[in-house]
Order: sequence, then structure tokens, then C-alpha cells
Amino acid sequence: MSDQNEAVHHEADVPVDPRRDFLVLDDVHTHFDLGTSFLTRESKGVVKAVDGVTLTVKEGEILGLVGESGCGKSTLSRTIMQLIRPTSGRIFLEGKELSALSDKDIRHERINFQMIFQDPYASLNPRMTVLDTLAEAIRTRHPNVKGAGMRERVADLLRTVGMNPNQMKRYPHEFSGGQRQRVAIARALAPEPKLIIADEPVSALDVSIQSQILNLLKRLTREMGLTMIFISHDLSVVRYIADRIAVMYLGRILELGEASEVVDHPLHIYTRALMSAIPAPDPRTERTRSRIVLQGDPPSPLNPPQGCNFWPRSPVTHDERMKHEEPVLTELRPGHFAANCPFCLNGA
Amino acid sequence: MPLLEVKDLKTSFYTRDGVVRAVDGVSFSLDKGETLGIVGESGSGKSVTCYSLMRLIPEPPGRIDGGTAMFDGRDLLTMGQRELRKIRGKRISMIFQDPMTSLNPYLRISTQLTEALRLHYDIDKKAAVNKAIAALEEVGIPEAAKRVHNYPHEFSGGMRQRVMIAMALITEPDLLIADEPTTALDVTVQAQIMDIIKKRQEDLGTAVILITHDLGVVAGTCDKVNVMYGGRMMESGTAEQVFYNAQHPYTRSLQKTIPSLQTKGEQLYTIPGLPPDVSKPIHGCAFYPRCPYPKTGLPEGNRPDLVELNDGHCYADCRFCDSSAPIESVLSTDVPEETEAAGAAE
Repeated sequence: MSDQNEAVHHEADVPVDPRRDFLVLDDVHTHFDLGTSFLTRESKGVVKAVDGVTLTVKEGEILGLVGESGCGKSTLSRTIMQLIRPTSGRIFLEGKELSALSDKDIRHERINFQMIFQDPYASLNPRMTVLDTLAEAIRTRHPNVKGAGMRERVADLLRTVGMNPNQMKRYPHEFSGGQRQRVAIARALAPEPKLIIADEPVSALDVSIQSQILNLLKRLTREMGLTMIFISHDLSVVRYIADRIAVMYLGRILELGEASEVVDHPLHIYTRALMSAIPAPDPRTERTRSRIVLQGDPPSPLNPPQGCNFWPRSPVTHDERMKHEEPVLTELRPGHFAANCPFCLNGA
Repeated sequence: MPLLEVKDLKTSFYTRDGVVRAVDGVSFSLDKGETLGIVGESGSGKSVTCYSLMRLIPEPPGRIDGGTAMFDGRDLLTMGQRELRKIRGKRISMIFQDPMTSLNPYLRISTQLTEALRLHYDIDKKAAVNKAIAALEEVGIPEAAKRVHNYPHEFSGGMRQRVMIAMALITEPDLLIADEPTTALDVTVQAQIMDIIKKRQEDLGTAVILITHDLGVVAGTCDKVNVMYGGRMMESGTAEQVFYNAQHPYTRSLQKTIPSLQTKGEQLYTIPGLPPDVSKPIHGCAFYPRCPYPKTGLPEGNRPDLVELNDGHCYADCRFCDSSAPIESVLSTDVPEETEAAGAAE
């Protein structure tokens, strides 16, 4: 059984030619070795933050990456950025193998892929004006732009993200959270990147500001032909913005497919539990509907459970066989993949 | 007689840059066993409202300028410190937003859990620890007898929030104030925590004030809802009234912005502009600059009065916008208003 699945999995998911696709992750592992204990000389263990992720991102698409805290979604994004080097596996961007580049080369390459962070209060330098912040980013691509030309470019950028260009002499503390996030987005756009990784860009913002930023990100990716990886723990937000959704759990992808497919016809019980945990803003449905309540907290990636790593929290069954068979991401419907643990797919 | 009746509460902060009217005339009442949700964005005054009730506002710069809060026949706002200490932590307790910072990292959980018991009741240490273990079991902490002696860093975020709930409920209070208890947690853990609060509330008959910005959480748990904006009440009523028959433009806009209600592929509905700056006096309706309805006049003078529609459903009757009209399409722009105006001037 597993051979057959392996074949389907490879055929459909791993590209034959990594140069053809925009962004390719090929069996990426990012582990953190905690070292050995000073006294006993025993290993303190290895945190398997990203544990075998294979994924392709098409040019111009928005891929939503969903998961609870500790599932490895931020580590994966930092691995793609090469801020953390993968322990094994390869990452290709437009055919160029990022994971093989030297630290020096990666710095040059990084103008093509930029990141937006969660907390706009922490990600902007408080001692730099908006002009300085954006000018620094613009110079990475255009080192010779100066003076009036630079101010013109900064003004253009600010207009693009819906801010007033005459605010460029201000410091971050003079802006609200939503405006700071706009500045952070402008900074990510400044080097004219092809890929943007947005790590929980709206979770620190108020509801009424969230939708402004989401609309902005969606409009910009479409207008500028960008590709985006949008990371969030909130499926309702991801559903709106993403073309495809990948659900992560303990360093692995459990489900992957078109956004509407994953949300409307989830295959894996974990995805269904995530969906059902989102409270509906409607008192009558909220009081009558039944929930899939997961047991306990997400387990630690330090000692991940063997086999189907979801078994300790499964609300359906704790079948012994789950612990022994390693599930494989399999195409179960056209373009819709899920980890093929028979017990987790039960009822789908 | 309601358990808690707050009338016209006003709390301001007197800073060098002017007076910040964080809470400006808030009234509500709460019966035994009831759950009240206070909804609003950051800066809307929802937390300050509850801190005022607990008298936890730092004075100076803060000051409670007016109003009454009758709790079981006595006014919390004018009560002496000694009397207050007998109520705080015993009859009214509080859960804070961030379980990472609201536990003392230097003290064992057992010490922190039993502190309130030992202060308010004549109980020996051993009995108190036993009660603490029982309290931890109630909120679903495995191996409670062992874990009660652990330090906070040995617990995960969700577990710490459970400890906070156990701590808040150990004295079996009449009123529990929960300030964004699940905002820092994952959705899956949020569902567990809300279930625990609901279950303990049923067991003990505790009244709960739940502060949140998530209309979804309110829908599932609250009997009554208060919508706050700019330190003022915009709308209040039962959950059904506020969700199915929202009157105030702000409540309606807030409902429209929730991503899960929107059709995929369309632009998200946005409320243009930014929340008001409460350090400057607000004339008329606080929501006027962002109101999506066609404007029929300039707001001047007094704020809109709270009008009772039917059976306890109140809303600030704004007369400056025509709320009978359909909501104006604001989808064409995601640019804040002030920017737009400045852009046009260029």
C-alpha cells in the first residue's frame, strides 16, 4: 500500500524539474540540536521544527500556511528565507538552489524574496524615519539612487501602500499599528522582490484594521505579479486571501489543496478540528453546533510522536496502528493532498 | 436586584498631553450567573472599564471621574481600601490576557493558588493545597497533585491560562472578569478554555464579564453584549438582539468586517479610517468620521443619546447619518480617509 502511495505522491507533488517551478521545497528538514548534557554526556535531543516538507509554489499565487503555534510554520518561513539553513533538503527559487548558495551570495539573492513580520512595533527601527527605512531597502536594488530621485521613489512606495507621502519624515512611534504594518509592507516591496513571505501580518492588528491590510496585500500581489506565502493560525483569514492552503502540524504538512477545497471539504481530521474551533459570529449556530474538540496542547517537536504524529490528540481513535505507520502526503482528490493516515481521514 | 449595576462610569487619564477620556459614560447591569460580553477594538475603553471596577487604575494619572458601580448593594467606586480588599480576589476575581506575564515566575503554582484562600479564609496550608489540587483538576490539568508544586515556566501557554482560571475561581467568586482570556492562545486551545470557563460558571453560578474583540467568542458564550467605541457605549442588548438586529452603524460595520462571513474572492469589507483619538474631545457621534452611511449633517454639541429600542436593547441614536440607507460601498478603497484627502490635494 505504501509503495503505491509513494508513487502517486512523487508523481504529483515533487516536480521532475525543479527549474520549471517558481519556488520548490524538496524534502526540507530544519532541526535544532540541543547539544549534549555537560554532566552525563547524553544528547539533550533534537527539535524537529521542520521535518520533511515538500512543496511547490506557483508564480503569482498566494499560498496560505496554517497551523498552531509550535507547528514549525515560522521556522519553515525562515528556512525559505535562508535565515536558518536547512539541516537537509533543497530549496529552489526560479531554478536557483538557494540552499546551496554561500552566505555572501544569499545576501545578494535576498532582494528577490522579502519578509513581512507579525509585530510592526518590533520590526521597524524606532530611530529611523520612514524615509530612511525605505531608502535603505531601495538601495539594495538601486544603489545609485539619491536625493530627490530617492524621495520620489519613497513617495511612490508610500502611495502604493495607501499612505500619505508627506509622512515620510516621521518616525514609527508616530504611527498606529495598521500604518506601521503598511510601512513594513512598503519596506518589503522596496527591493522589488518576486516572493514575499508574510508571517502573521495581521494578527497583531484590530479587526477593523485587519481587513484593510488583507485587502492591500491581496491587491498588491495581483497588481505587481508577486508570489506570496501567507502564514497565519487563523483559517478564516487564510481562506479569504489564499489561492491554496497548506496545513502544518509538528513540522509536516498534513493537508494541501485549493483554498476552497480545503475549507469546504477538509480531508484530515486535524483540518476539520481547526475549522470547527473557529467561533462563528452567530449566537444560534454557535450554541447548537457540535465541535471537534482536540485534546490537550500541540505536542513538543522535541520528541514528536512516532507514526501519524497526530494520534495523541485525535478525537476519534487511539488505534495502536497509528503509531507504526508513517503517513505520506497523497493526492486523494485532484489537486488536494492529505497525509494518508486511515484513522485521521475517517469520515471524510 | 442585579449583582452588579454600573451607571455612567467615567474614567480619565490626566496626562501632560491632555485628558484622555478612556471611559466616558458606560452603564450596564449583570445578574447572578449571567455572562456579559464587552466588545471593542483596542483603545475603546473595554479594559479600562473593568480595571475601574476592580479599582486597579493607577492614580495618578488615572482617575474615576464619576458614576456608580453597585455590587451587592455597595458602591465599588467609593468603597474604602480595606473593604475593597475583602471583595477583590474573593467575591470578584479577574483573569488577564497574557498568561505568560500574569503569573509570578519565582513562586510555585501552589503558593500562588493558595494565596487568595489563605488571605480570605481561615484555612491551614495543607487543606489549602488540597483545594488547589482540586481546582487544577477541575480545569483539566493532568497529574494535578504533582504539577501543583511546579513553577509557571514548566507549563505551556494554554496550561498557564488554565492555572489562571483555577486561581481566579478557587475562592468561588460571585463575579469573574476575564480580560481577553484567549487572545494569546491558539484557536484549538481557545475552544478548550472557553469550554472550561463555561462549565465552571455553570457549576458555581458565577457571573462573568468577558472582554474581547472577537465577535465569534461573544456569540458562543454571552447572554448580553455591550459594544464600545471611543470610550462610549454604542449598542447593548442580549446577544440575539445585537447580532440579529444590530442598530448602530458601528456594530453593523464590525459584523461586516469578519472574514469568515465574507464570500471568497470578493474584497473584504473594511471600515475606512482609524479609531478615534480619545485624548481630544469628540463632538457628537464618535463613529461619525468612519460611518459608512450617507452623512446627513455635521455632528456638533452633545453625543447621541442611548435610546431603548425594545426590552433592554439600547443603541446610541446617531442622527447625523442616514442609517436607513444601504451601507455605502467603501470597497473601492483601502486607503485611510486622511491620506485620500491629502492625496487629492496634491
